Amino acid sequence: MISESADGSTPADEAGREEGNGGSAGSARSSGPGRRSFLRGLAVGGGVVAGGAVGAGAGYSLRGPGAPDPAAALNAQMVDGLVSAVPFHGEHQTGITPAPAPATSVVSFTATADTRADLISLFQTITDRARFLTVGGTPPPVGIGGPPSDSGMLGPTVVPDGLTITFGVGSTLFDDRYGLASAAPARLTQMKSFPNDDLDPAQCGGDLIMQFSAWDEDVVLHALRDIKTNTQGGMQPNWRIAGFASPARPTGTVPRNLFGFMDGISNPAVTDATQMNDLVWVQPGAPGEPAWTAGGSYMVVRLIRMLTEFWDRVDIYEQQLMIGRYRTSGYPLDADGIYAAPDYSTDPTGDVIPMNAHIRLANPRTPETASSRIMRRGWNYNRGLDEVGDLDIGLVFTCFQQDIQRQFEATQTRLINEPMIDYISPFGGGYFLALPGVRDSSDYFGRAMFA
Amino acid sequence: MRTRRLIAAAAASTALAGAVTACSSGAPAQPSAAADTVITFTDAACGGTWHAGPGWHTFQVSNQASAGAEVDLTNPANGAIYAELENTGPGTTVPMSLDLGSGNYAFVCEINEVDPIAGPTVTVSGHVKGTPAILPVTYDELYPLCKADQQETLAGITELAKETTVLAEDVGSGNLTQAKRDWLTAHLQYETLGVAYSSFAQYDGEIDGRADATGVNSPQWTGFYRLEYGLWHGQSASELTPVANTLNTDVDQLLAWWRTQEVDPLDLVRRAHEVLENALQFQLTGHDDYGSGTTLATTLANVTATRYLVSLLRPLLASRYPGLSSVYSGLDQLRALLEKEHLPNGSWVPVSALPSSTRAEIDAACSQVVQELAPIPSIADPRYTLHDF
Repeated sequence: MISESADGSTPADEAGREEGNGGSAGSARSSGPGRRSFLRGLAVGGGVVAGGAVGAGAGYSLRGPGAPDPAAALNAQMVDGLVSAVPFHGEHQTGITPAPAPATSVVSFTATADTRADLISLFQTITDRARFLTVGGTPPPVGIGGPPSDSGMLGPTVVPDGLTITFGVGSTLFDDRYGLASAAPARLTQMKSFPNDDLDPAQCGGDLIMQFSAWDEDVVLHALRDIKTNTQGGMQPNWRIAGFASPARPTGTVPRNLFGFMDGISNPAVTDATQMNDLVWVQPGAPGEPAWTAGGSYMVVRLIRMLTEFWDRVDIYEQQLMIGRYRTSGYPLDADGIYAAPDYSTDPTGDVIPMNAHIRLANPRTPETASSRIMRRGWNYNRGLDEVGDLDIGLVFTCFQQDIQRQFEATQTRLINEPMIDYISPFGGGYFLALPGVRDSSDYFGRAMFA
Repeated sequence: MRTRRLIAAAAASTALAGAVTACSSGAPAQPSAAADTVITFTDAACGGTWHAGPGWHTFQVSNQASAGAEVDLTNPANGAIYAELENTGPGTTVPMSLDLGSGNYAFVCEINEVDPIAGPTVTVSGHVKGTPAILPVTYDELYPLCKADQQETLAGITELAKETTVLAEDVGSGNLTQAKRDWLTAHLQYETLGVAYSSFAQYDGEIDGRADATGVNSPQWTGFYRLEYGLWHGQSASELTPVANTLNTDVDQLLAWWRTQEVDPLDLVRRAHEVLENALQFQLTGHDDYGSGTTLATTLANVTATRYLVSLLRPLLASRYPGLSSVYSGLDQLRALLEKEHLPNGSWVPVSALPSSTRAEIDAACSQVVQELAPIPSIADPRYTLHDF
């Protein structure tokens, strides 16, 4: 799964994907549609923060409605020129479809809330904090009753910076602790260990998953710290990995991975409702699925070490045969264009693109495999060294789909013995369901799940 | 200017339920668009009159006095503080932000070496709640508690001194099995005293210091952890006898020193949260396990110490900190989780042997408690008031 997911898109798809970035990438650093959302959200954000004080009993009280618009305008000016907000509310979580933002952090948590009611409070708090953090605003100045409510690492005003917070649940949440067994998503299991995996249990699974993505790493960390501070006791971090998305080089929209290959060239088009409903979003009435899962999306996270020193000692032609694309251009070995679809019908024995090339196994481009396409999102991770001084760097692979078995596992099964496997080592991750979106200011993550 | 920690203005710990309630209530507090109000104070006057409606407001407080000053925005009726600025330098202007609710306000300027002066009383009209004012805790309120703590700790060290004497005798007589048991008893007694950072001066390093800076083979390393390392790494009685004797002597010296000490009020209020912060950093991580595997027992002793300190401060906190009941329930929950790891044979489960789910529960419970303890030093920090002069 290094180079690309199930292929099948066109240049038009790609343009569509960019359009659908919702301010995170496509409209970055311009005042696009996100601006209005930011203004609208500011009021809510401020209220949430003040509300935190209510719960802690600091004596805060909410004032009457009637948010003065000039205040919002003032704060809008403060963030002028910065990356605008990605709208938070929607049928689906809004952090799923944007192209990978430059900085990300994926964090798994163990739910430690004592009761079902406490777990609901936890989900509501996460909702409130995410609603505030993604639109930004000024944390409240409050009396002498405690340490600051905000870490201050973004200055006096929290900027949105294209922040998205994607929230999901793992299969272990549906055990007997919270009475959720009957609400378990039908297609949610523990992550399967594939034959070439070397999974570390300490970096696998989790009751809850959160992915923070933004244009700058400080915003990602600020959001994580805020969420953690506000949820102490309710959930305990389990494992975490930070990642970055490379710029497209030399030009274009497709970033290169750590093997030097353009990565994630094709995906379902996020603006094509048919593709998204066929491949990504859990549909209302999906067989066996509890109704509450509609609008959600199954999320696979795979932490994959890439043995880059080894890879760099491999002849360029062998590298390209393993991937199926040219390293320089990203073109398929049989075509003249980055978005051109390889034509396997004219190459039935793999003389040009080997039968076991990554792109050919990942997406054979047959009618039978079309429904196994996934929406792939990937970031590079960059940690320290291993025992022999090789770099511990690799891929934070994520993908979204409506059926993990039909899509990710089917694709991964085709890839089991691809030649590239010698140069990578999957060591962690998990399967989750990214919850349906938070519809509006009165909604919260998982409301229907708890109903 | 007296020395005091910077007090940051903030809400108390954000409990889960709190944020939830607020969200569903809808109406937000948020920054106001009103222009900042400049408050200029001198040696003779603490600002002039000012006008502001309710809502989020920033004052630009300008020190035109001859020295550094603290400036509080108070309720003139009772001296409760809405917001404070510490250590403003002469010639500087510092912002003070708060959510102004309906009521009466007066700035109080406490200029170094000058009796505090109050500015004019200003009324913010309407029926709106804003940033709450908290009655300052005074030195006079804390001194009796400091005296009580001095006595309580004296009793604790006296007991400790007996235990380290027994421990030294065990080691000296070569009974290392008994020494291991008595080591635990004495170490937990020490950890129950609620020491944090400098409250025992150099004695804490001598009695309970880690090997971080010295390494485990250094003769400079003394105290409980040094003895633990030896007892659980097969070192001989003859090798450990001087270690145990030094520990015993150091505790005796601590006892003699402590009789002459007065407890600093600042130290008292900070220990209420610092003791468990240290437990989270050094005990629950397993960092301070030098072989006995008893860092959960140490954490439990720290819970006991924290509960003692919070209870000592309770008369001051009860009316000022609505999160206090959560502190107690959190401490009780953490205690219960830790006690589960105390095995019938008297030994403790090392943190490294805990199932990950159990460890997550314990870590989460401790993290929650330290979050809820965090406001205590801010609230109970001793402050002078107009009435002190």
